[in-house]
Amino acid sequence: MPRLKTTHDIFSAIGEPKRRVLIEQLALKEMTVNELVDIVKWSQPTVSKHLSVLKKVRIVSERKEGRYRFYRIQPEELRPIQEWMHQLEKYWGSTMDQLDNYLNLIQVKGTDSEH
Amino acid sequence: MSTDKIIPSEIIREFNAPRQLVFDAWTQVKHLNNWMFPMAGCKCEFVSANIIDGGTSLHKVTMPNGHEMWLYTKYEKVVAPEKLVFLQYFSNKNGDIVPMPHIPNWPRDMFATLLFEELSDDKTKLTFLWEPRNPTPEELQAFESTRSEHGNGWGAGMEQLNSYLESL
Repeated sequence: MPRLKTTHDIFSAIGEPKRRVLIEQLALKEMTVNELVDIVKWSQPTVSKHLSVLKKVRIVSERKEGRYRFYRIQPEELRPIQEWMHQLEKYWGSTMDQLDNYLNLIQVKGTDSEH
Repeated sequence: MSTDKIIPSEIIREFNAPRQLVFDAWTQVKHLNNWMFPMAGCKCEFVSANIIDGGTSLHKVTMPNGHEMWLYTKYEKVVAPEKLVFLQYFSNKNGDIVPMPHIPNWPRDMFATLLFEELSDDKTKLTFLWEPRNPTPEELQAFESTRSEHGNGWGAGMEQLNSYLESL
């Protein structure tokens, strides 16, 4: 299933901090490479390199207009990430509740002289 | 709304316990077995644990309905009592890494960074950050430097994006 592979690639794609910066910028508005370079202050090849990875996993799409190429976010492609984060947040949030209970329990047992 | 953020890459909690104890709770099996599961009625059993830099652990969480889940953890950094960095994977009982059984799109790796901060003698702030990836040391460094520059690494653009996702 090519879908599975692509989805897994999205996770690697956003694992790189620079690419997340690009995603954040493009989430605000559609931009050209040069506009991105102006904002993030990295070299043009660096921006292009990361954009091409994002394009490959379809998080970013490209549109040509005259001499210019505009890049924009395809937010629906980020859904698997959102779901993953959401599930982890729920899982670890609940696990931290257990830790909280446990810490309270052992401290009451150990140091009840305070009360 | 806040639970639906696109990239909620951190959980921050305060515990009414000294920092060393909170750290021990994450790094000592005698503590871990008592709480490392997502709901009451679960059981946790560490079958191996070498919680040091470069060490690993293998534990089993048994759900109230009897379902078993094995988790294999690789520890990258164990800095008592302030920091813990690990990668966690779904595994089988031998510690072989396997895809998440019911969620095929779930990536195999969860990269977590825990920061323990002393607020007072008996209050500790825990910041839990995670990443969907398997970092190289270089990436790890990049990740940490980004974090200090951009807070949790994800800014206003993500909020914007999230609003959009909500509206789909």
